[in-house]
Amino acid sequence: MAIIIEGKVIAFVILILAFVLFYIFMYLAKTGYEISARTFPAVAALPEAVGRAAEMGKPVYYTTGLGMDTLNNPLQGPQTLAGISILGYVTRLCVKAGVNIAYFTPIADSLPLVEETMRTAYLAEGKPEEFDPNMINFQAGQSPYLTASLGYMQREKPASNILLGGFYYESVVLGEAGNTIGAMQIGGSANTHQLPFIVATCDYTLISEELFAASAEIAGDPDVLGTLKGEDILKFIIMVLTIVGFLLGATGVTTIADILGL
Amino acid sequence: MSEVYKRELVFVVTAIVAIVMILNFFFVIPGLSPVAEQLQAWALIIQLIAIAIGAANVMRVHSSLVQRRVQGRWLYSAWLIGLFAILTILGLINLATGTQNPFYQWVFDHVYVSLGTTLYAITGFYIFSAAYRAFRARTLDAAILLLAGCFVILTNAPIGEVIWSGIPVIGRWMLDYGQVPAMRTFLITGAFGLLAFGFRTLLGKETGFYGEVAE
Repeated sequence: MAIIIEGKVIAFVILILAFVLFYIFMYLAKTGYEISARTFPAVAALPEAVGRAAEMGKPVYYTTGLGMDTLNNPLQGPQTLAGISILGYVTRLCVKAGVNIAYFTPIADSLPLVEETMRTAYLAEGKPEEFDPNMINFQAGQSPYLTASLGYMQREKPASNILLGGFYYESVVLGEAGNTIGAMQIGGSANTHQLPFIVATCDYTLISEELFAASAEIAGDPDVLGTLKGEDILKFIIMVLTIVGFLLGATGVTTIADILGL
Repeated sequence: MSEVYKRELVFVVTAIVAIVMILNFFFVIPGLSPVAEQLQAWALIIQLIAIAIGAANVMRVHSSLVQRRVQGRWLYSAWLIGLFAILTILGLINLATGTQNPFYQWVFDHVYVSLGTTLYAITGFYIFSAAYRAFRARTLDAAILLLAGCFVILTNAPIGEVIWSGIPVIGRWMLDYGQVPAMRTFLITGAFGLLAFGFRTLLGKETGFYGEVAE
């Protein structure tokens, strides 16, 4: 008989609640319920970034960050995958505009996914022969990745830098190097410790969950947008719990905090 | 195997692995834990094999630069390939003999680590120039940020307490209470975003990184 592990009951309830809400709104979207999602300025700026590169005749620099050097990390892996999802869209924009794109990563296990994503983008635009695997640059480790990126920025002076993924201290280094060469910069991460640097150095940012939502917005599929609606409901529930818990806590009633195990 | 079948297979494998890991995380199910551990071991093995793919990528990119004699780059690429070959041979000798070659260790300790530390150290200058850009008081928001930043900097610098004893109190309050709620909000919403992303992946709806690109 299956027994839930002690201390994980509330997490499991939230997981099930989230999955039920996501499913309900995906189902509703499929049956015609209209779900509108606000456009993220950073996503709307992606064509502008590629267009700028086309006008200047310069390449686009794209990276998904250190991501702890692997996809096999519960917090960093999904951010890298979200970055790769958006990479497919940006590559397609670049192929349309005839712009070169250079991708830099220290994550070896993401290479097959990246190559497949970029190759498919070229194929989808009817120019598979233009795909060059050498546009994907791997460097083992954070420092080699950073020095290779800095060297590329100084040599090629890309018109736009796109930094979307799980970043560590490289966010400020790449962001500032991009500012030095006057590149338009779009950044995003769910790593809260890097958000101040990304906000300070980039023109447009995807903050926290927006990084994950961006790929859903790009897909534009009503099913997929349903999960964003589910997220909003979850946020509302948490806000209500926080406010009620705060008010009850002020009167000495700690029921909600006890249930949540706080 | 057709392309469609290959695509479906990827989604099915992803879903099975995700369900096993979720069940193992929340429940005590006899026999499931060894399966989950085995899957994690496989993931680690795949990760290590991927390093070989990374090495192949490095060789491909740099040998292409050498072959084409790209101005200002090919010599560096040749240098990289030469060092790569030497260290690979030394690494294999280490593996065969079970001993640590002193040159191999020297390169790691005195070249790789030293250069990495140097690069990390210059981050301070980048942070300084980023802070200069962020702290220009052109709007009310930026002015508040500047004020808060000044208090936090002076809290961490010994001179702050000398100027006024209240500075560390205010700075500490900003660190402990002022920024924590905002950061926790980002953490919670980020977790929900992660959940939704995982759910879409589980159902095969998140297809961008499978090579299905949006228009």
